[in-house]
Amino acid sequence: MRKLNAFILSAALVLATPICLPAPAQAIDLKDMIYDPGQLKPVDSSLKVRPGQMAPDFALPSTTGEKVRLSDYRGKKNVVLSFVPAAFTPVCSDQWPGYKLTRDLFEERDAMILGISVDNVPSLYAWAVEMHGLWFPVLSDFPHGAVAKRYGLLRTSGTSERAIVIIDKKGVIRFAKAFDVNRRPDLGVIMGELDKLK
Amino acid sequence: MKRFAAALLALLLFSAPALAKPKVGDILPDLEIKAAPLAPEAAYLGLAPGSKSFRLSQIKAEALLVEIFSMYCPRCQASARSVNKVFENLTALPQGRKLKMLGLGAGNSGFEVNAFRKQFEIPLPLFQDGDYVLHKAFGNVYTPTYMVLKATPDGKGFQVLHIQEGPFGNGEEFLENMLRVSGVQ
Repeated sequence: MRKLNAFILSAALVLATPICLPAPAQAIDLKDMIYDPGQLKPVDSSLKVRPGQMAPDFALPSTTGEKVRLSDYRGKKNVVLSFVPAAFTPVCSDQWPGYKLTRDLFEERDAMILGISVDNVPSLYAWAVEMHGLWFPVLSDFPHGAVAKRYGLLRTSGTSERAIVIIDKKGVIRFAKAFDVNRRPDLGVIMGELDKLK
Repeated sequence: MKRFAAALLALLLFSAPALAKPKVGDILPDLEIKAAPLAPEAAYLGLAPGSKSFRLSQIKAEALLVEIFSMYCPRCQASARSVNKVFENLTALPQGRKLKMLGLGAGNSGFEVNAFRKQFEIPLPLFQDGDYVLHKAFGNVYTPTYMVLKATPDGKGFQVLHIQEGPFGNGEEFLENMLRVSGVQ
């Protein structure tokens, strides 16, 4: 009987193993290059900005070699700050190709995306090339995630949250949220918030 | 401990088919699509007009060709127009009334599915699966994945006749193969 119990328990544990493993990466183009960190704590920071306040300005290097300053868009474009945790990881490697596909939706709302990660410029450059280029600036918040920290979006691991901050043409924050790092933010939510700026 | 282990084993034995990637011959449950088909989609699938949701078994077809896709997946984007062509060619054939196509957007909201549909002018029915419920039931396959399913004789599930992960290359050969494995005449 003891052997039977041990067998049942062993079989149960073996069968239980798959549900303890992370879900497979959804990014396909890069799938052989993707590092899957598994399921992470959904949000691991506290927002330091809120709608109604002026967006803290910053200047970060981009993958084109230029420095991009947030305030340069003031009076010209609504800005969507898209913070993502890390290059070459599953969810991030799908998120920006989705924004590449839906460029017209952002442009219809007079919005420019600034993609931000704590990765260094060479890593972001290689990642952007693997995504066959992006229409918006990809900015490096390397080495210590100073911008992410200022916005309250720096995780204890040193990466940023998967967050969206929407800033109007006056430079005022109109929406700020750290989404579950394991999931893509719903594009419908982003477009709905941009529609409120019209 | 014995009762706990036995209960866990029973639970996992019943849930295991939904966790593993399906293979030919596996039986999948008769899944519910919790999304309202557009009027042309309902007409194509043989569903009642104004349906808010439906089960795969309610589709009027002898077999189903299901695409698991994501608006965000670069390979799905690259394949979209080829899939359109397959659908157009299939619906032009007499067998197109027996083998019906539909797409399920893994992790996509209704907004995202609509964006994908609009961007590529996709004529085949597409449905959202925002919480990955269907994607999990289909074994967490990569996107895109193409599956041919046929209802089991008891009507309680669907047998996997074919599964193919990744883009299909030549669309004409793909369609020919899908017709062959589906067995529709």
